Parts: sequence; structure tokens; C-alpha cells
Amino acid sequence: MPTVTANGVATHVQELGAGSPVVMTHGLIIGSLASWYFTAGPELAREHRVRMYDLRGHGRSARPATGYDTATLARDLDALTAELPQFDLVGHSWGGLVALRFALAHPERVRRLAIVEAPIPPSTAIDLLGPDVTPEGLIGALPDSLRAAVASGRRQAERLLATVVALVRDTTLLADVRSEPEPDARELRVPTLLAYGDRSSCLAGGRTLAAQIPGASLHVLPGGHYLHLDAKAELVRLLAEHLRG
Amino acid sequence: MSTDEILSTIQACLVEIAGDEILIAGPITPATSFNGDLELESIEFVALAEKLQQRFGQRVDFVGWISKKELDQIIALTVGELVEFIASCRP
Repeated sequence: MPTVTANGVATHVQELGAGSPVVMTHGLIIGSLASWYFTAGPELAREHRVRMYDLRGHGRSARPATGYDTATLARDLDALTAELPQFDLVGHSWGGLVALRFALAHPERVRRLAIVEAPIPPSTAIDLLGPDVTPEGLIGALPDSLRAAVASGRRQAERLLATVVALVRDTTLLADVRSEPEPDARELRVPTLLAYGDRSSCLAGGRTLAAQIPGASLHVLPGGHYLHLDAKAELVRLLAEHLRG
Repeated sequence: MSTDEILSTIQACLVEIAGDEILIAGPITPATSFNGDLELESIEFVALAEKLQQRFGQRVDFVGWISKKELDQIIALTVGELVEFIASCRP
């Protein structure tokens, strides 16, 4: 398992394909690099070197007690990409906010940016977790496909619950999300694609970003927050076109 | 490599990833499903992809194969289907 230490955190990284580099970031709690690895990652890897990693606290990366704010996560991203030439950046949900934060701080390092379903204001990410932010409530708010898998099982349910409990009870993740400041994207000078679901509570945030980011294109796809599952083919096509530039 | 050998290689990879308890219901057979029977997590599936690449080489494009499937097909995937896929990739 390729694990590298980035910003002091043991981080699980995977790469697919060859070509100009693309880095992909995932969402919180139920996200992991698998969110991209089995969806858009392999498709983009036909033309790109695609680097995916588990955010701190997620998947097979270490789980520090703090640092789930986008400033810290963008520093993790910085450390994980230090040796790359200019690259494209694709982020889902909180990972999209991390990508935006990174692009605002390091515009010279990002060739093209794609933000999928990033919640604006960021604190509304809490709403995505459902009305009940206890571990049991979070399981209840999973997308249908995942909830069915969890409901049918023992091992998966136990392991997912363990992850959720650890993140919610043992880290500052929820507090970090609640106190995350709203980004000011008006100064962004990186070509940016925004993709949001027509049934997603985040769509209004997509329109806010579209109004802020000069030249950004907003695409509304049929689906909810988990667009890489709900509208995989269309999302892949949009991302591939955008990154072909 | 025979399909039996491919099957035992997959089983060995799964034990490396998820531990002996993955065999708690008995040895893995072609009918065993990754989701319903083994209850593998998606991130463990990533680890399986990596190990298969190491064991079988670049010719076995497991990730490319999976990426063409719909989510419900991935959820229903059996060990036997994976064995067949790997067998079809070998010269």
C-alpha cells in the first residue's frame, strides 16, 4: 500500500494512468479515494496521470485528532503534490473546497480546476450529513445504494460505523466544518468547471461560486450530491473535456 | 495459471487485506460475492486492485474493467467473475 508522509500525516496515495497530472480529492466521512478510483479516476487515466489520496482521517490514511479545515487539508495537498509540475485539480464536496482553497493560494500550480458539489457556505456540509449528526443518524443519511449495502450486512456496517464514530467523536471534524469560513473566489484566475446535481441541496452554492469565479462554467447534472455515482458517465465526459482544455 | 490457482491467489490477496476473519464463513468459492458475502469495503477493493496488479502484472487491468461497470454490477460482483476476467487477460 503506497503510504507517504505529507504534512506529518501518513497518507494513502494511488495513481492510475500516464500523461499530464490530475489530482483528485474526495468528500468527508464516507468518502475515500475509492470515490474516484472506481468512477471517474480510471476514465481520466486514459489521458492523464491521475493521483488520488485518502484525506486525513479517511480510508487508509492516518486519523489525526485535528486539521479537517480546508486550510490544513490544502497544506496536506500541497505536501502531496510538491514534486508535480503544474497539475489539474478535481474535488468532490469538501474535497472541492480544499481544491478551491489550494487554487486560490497557489494559482500558478493549478492548470485547470473542477469543483463537484462543494457546499457553499462550507458549514452547510453539516446539512448533507442529515438532521442527526450522531453516528447512527449519519448512517441513516447515506446515499441509497450505500445504505442498502450497509443495511444488508454486518461487517461493512460495523466498519463504516467505526469510521464515523472515530471521526465524529475523536476528531475536530464537525467543529472544523462548522467554523470553516466562506471562501472568496472572486480573485480566482484558474479555468474552473463547476458540476452540481439538480436534486442536490448544494446547487445554490454552485450558483454562488459561478457568480464569483471569473469565466467559470456551471453544469447541472441529473442527480444528488454523489454525482460521481448518480451521473457518472456525464460527469466523466464533462471532466475529460474540461481537462482536455 | 489455472482458474483454481487464480482463485487461490485472489483468496491470499483478500486475507492479506482483510485478515483471516474474511474466511470466517469458509473458503472463498467462485460463487462468493465481494459485497454480499465478504462485505469488502470500497477502500479494501482498491487494495485488492493494487495487489492483483502486483501479482498478475499490467495485462490485468482490473480497475479499467471495474470502471466500465455500473454500481449495481460492482455490488453484485462475484469472485468467479473476477477469476474469469483474469483468465481472459492471460496469454
